[in-house]
Amino acid sequence: MITISTIDIQEGAIGTKRQTGRPPETYLPLPPATFHILLALADEELHGYAIMKGVAARSEGTVRLGPGTLYGTLKRLLEAGLVEEGGERADPERGDERRRYYRLTQLGLCVARAEARRLDAMVRAARRKKLIGVRPA
Amino acid sequence: MSAERIYGLLLRAYPPEFRAEYEREMVLLFRDQCRESDVRTFGFWVAVIGDVVRSAPALRVEAWRAHASENTQTVEVIMKLAAMLTLLLGGVIGILNAAVEWVAASQQSISGTHEVSIVLGVLASALLLAAGVAIVNRTQRGRQVARLAVIASLVTIVIARLLFPWMSVLSQLVGIGLPVALLIALYWPQRASPLGAA
Repeated sequence: MITISTIDIQEGAIGTKRQTGRPPETYLPLPPATFHILLALADEELHGYAIMKGVAARSEGTVRLGPGTLYGTLKRLLEAGLVEEGGERADPERGDERRRYYRLTQLGLCVARAEARRLDAMVRAARRKKLIGVRPA
Repeated sequence: MSAERIYGLLLRAYPPEFRAEYEREMVLLFRDQCRESDVRTFGFWVAVIGDVVRSAPALRVEAWRAHASENTQTVEVIMKLAAMLTLLLGGVIGILNAAVEWVAASQQSISGTHEVSIVLGVLASALLLAAGVAIVNRTQRGRQVARLAVIASLVTIVIARLLFPWMSVLSQLVGIGLPVALLIALYWPQRASPLGAA
């Protein structure tokens, strides 16, 4: 049996403790900030500032992560095994100090996909109920 | 005072372990924010302080919980070691005590029930020794054997006490007090540990 870490999510916080073989669905629902971070890391390694900028851009400014929220969430995701460090290097675009990069693990990718499916199902339900996708009269 | 120095002071709200790991990265990120925002505005500092207020208490609580968990584990390990030593010492002292009682009794006329109670006392001590050895074998089966041996020792010494009511205080402490203390030590930490570590 593969040993992985688990996260318990309560009111926007993720607590960590070691357990074995927990399916991705049991991590859901993810707090919005956590899902945004996983989404930002879905296709590339990023450093903290790039994650922050990506989240702000993707959410059209509605989700703004400060350093404390960002690194607090990253710490929990690292401990839970959803994210791993990808080493330190300078950002070629910024060309300044070396920064720590983060990337998604296989488990992190599975959890992000599970959360995306959950949200997709909710959006489809909302559409069936005509809460979205119809022009107001 | 520069914005970065003020932020450095605000970072003290975070637990030391978290600061040691992420302070440099957070300051770098704050520096980036300062480059792209006007640090003289009220809104900028409301957002900065709001971020600290939202994130620091939760991280403090997590750090406190982690410490509490480590302490529980440490207490558990100490209790297990103490239990092992107590059992082994209890077994040895119990057998020696029974031998002393046997020698003292043999100088007078010794009754049958007295003989039986001393033999039961030796048996109880041997069971304590067996429990001590079983605990050294740190498996679940070892723990079960240890529990059974301690319970058997307790029952045996109670029977000995009922057969011969003039047992010494030392015999009673070693024979009854130790198994009871050990039963508590073997059961209670097992439930209290968040990891269920043996």
